[in-house]
Amino acid sequence: MTDPLSKQATATDIARAVMAGKVKASAVIEATLARIEASEPTVNAFTDVLAGRARKRAAEIDAGVHRGPLAGVPFAVKNLFDIKSLPTRAGSKINVDGPKAGRDASLIRKLEAAGAILVGGLNMGEYAYDFTGENAHYGPSRNPHDPTRMTGGSSGGSGAAVAAGEVPLSLGSDTNGSIRVPSSLCGLFGLKPTYGRLSRAGSFPFVDAFDHLGPLARSVEDLALSFDAMQGWDPDDPVCTDRPADPTVPFLNEGIGGLRIAVAGDYFAKGGEPEAFEAVATVAKALNATRTVVIPQAGVARAAAYIITAIEGGQLHLPRLRTRPQDFDPDTRERLMAGALLPGSWYVKAQRFRRHYRAAVQKLFGEVDIILAPATPCTAPKLGQVMMKLGGVELAVRANLGLFTQPISFIGLPVVAVPLRTPGGMPIGVQVIANHYNEAAALRVARHLEKQGVVSAPAA
Amino acid sequence: MADEKPDVGTLVDEAAKAIGLPIAPQYRANVIVNYERSMLIAKPLLEVELDDELTSAPVFRP
Repeated sequence: MTDPLSKQATATDIARAVMAGKVKASAVIEATLARIEASEPTVNAFTDVLAGRARKRAAEIDAGVHRGPLAGVPFAVKNLFDIKSLPTRAGSKINVDGPKAGRDASLIRKLEAAGAILVGGLNMGEYAYDFTGENAHYGPSRNPHDPTRMTGGSSGGSGAAVAAGEVPLSLGSDTNGSIRVPSSLCGLFGLKPTYGRLSRAGSFPFVDAFDHLGPLARSVEDLALSFDAMQGWDPDDPVCTDRPADPTVPFLNEGIGGLRIAVAGDYFAKGGEPEAFEAVATVAKALNATRTVVIPQAGVARAAAYIITAIEGGQLHLPRLRTRPQDFDPDTRERLMAGALLPGSWYVKAQRFRRHYRAAVQKLFGEVDIILAPATPCTAPKLGQVMMKLGGVELAVRANLGLFTQPISFIGLPVVAVPLRTPGGMPIGVQVIANHYNEAAALRVARHLEKQGVVSAPAA
Repeated sequence: MADEKPDVGTLVDEAAKAIGLPIAPQYRANVIVNYERSMLIAKPLLEVELDDELTSAPVFRP
């Protein structure tokens, strides 16, 4: 077993060691805080470190007050999650002047009820309108595998903190790809659950129609453990499902027997760099997936997701755009302003198309159980890079890193992003996409790939 | 004519007035760039024909 005090320790390693009495939660927290202090000048993942709170909680765990499947596991959250007594930054300067949160976000409370220990808030792209992990107010989060490169966003700090080995587990949000993009660029496992599966109560919204929350980790078991701890209906989030929780841990090692797995063709097989498609081919080969399916009208889905995002985001921030435009990150301000001006008829059409597209993709899931697609069209771009070449075409980095994630979150399908290494050394991810509420299947596939050594997420 | 291109600068100025959003001169050009980008990206959506019976799927439950 990995040393529970080392940066390579997974949440599972730590929880087992703490429960077995082999290590104190307090020792885990001290090692974590020391690693954060050492890594932060390089990766800039944290905006708030909660040393006092974490030490107090660890002492309570060591005294036997809290037990659970995540006993003693340090975790950190994207700073759009409410953390009691702190303003909910959501990557902004403006929100720091707002009220302090009266209590922790729902998912923080659930993880702590399972024994985990919150150690801080994490950097992110302003108001989550971002695929890069850059932030004009707090500086960019930097990729631990190459600090001159982007983490991807908007959950940039959530990617950097786990990839650097500062914490084994983080929470992020994913509206159009903000968990899957940093998972891909930072070489991590990331779970974007079914829309409505996990409560968003106590998190700062971006696009209600697509906002999801979920974990990033260095092992599939950690995703499953944390996901199971966070499931369950929450009356404080009107979108949260009242379906009973579907535990995934008991099925994690069942293998891929009985699962019909296909590769997404057409839209998902072009418009990216060769390494994105090579990664998909590697995963497909390991799974003996020879079938290709076409997700119909994925390009239209991406367009519709873009329009709904622009209009909901613009509308949400309109009061602040009127009164404090100078305090926005320049990279979000004018996009939000433009979004606030787009025609309402576009929004309604995009929402109507969403239902049409959902029906078509549901039909496809009558024939297959898992669909594989690239997570990002390329490995991590350089920090500050504005344009990139994809398939020979010069495109804006900011608008296109989520090219392959947007059509999937648009209808709330669950996805596990699994990390591979490119020949150049930088990581890249593949989306393992399942039907609604079938996170268990995507996690089983990811676990099978991890056991085979096809995918892995060592700390940098 | 459906193909006639709008003057996006005027469109942005007038729409901003209509919703009470002041846009400072230093932000205006980039708002126009972003509006034009949205028009380009929206094109495939706007070209799709949907059945009248196809309504959206709101979550709101009374």
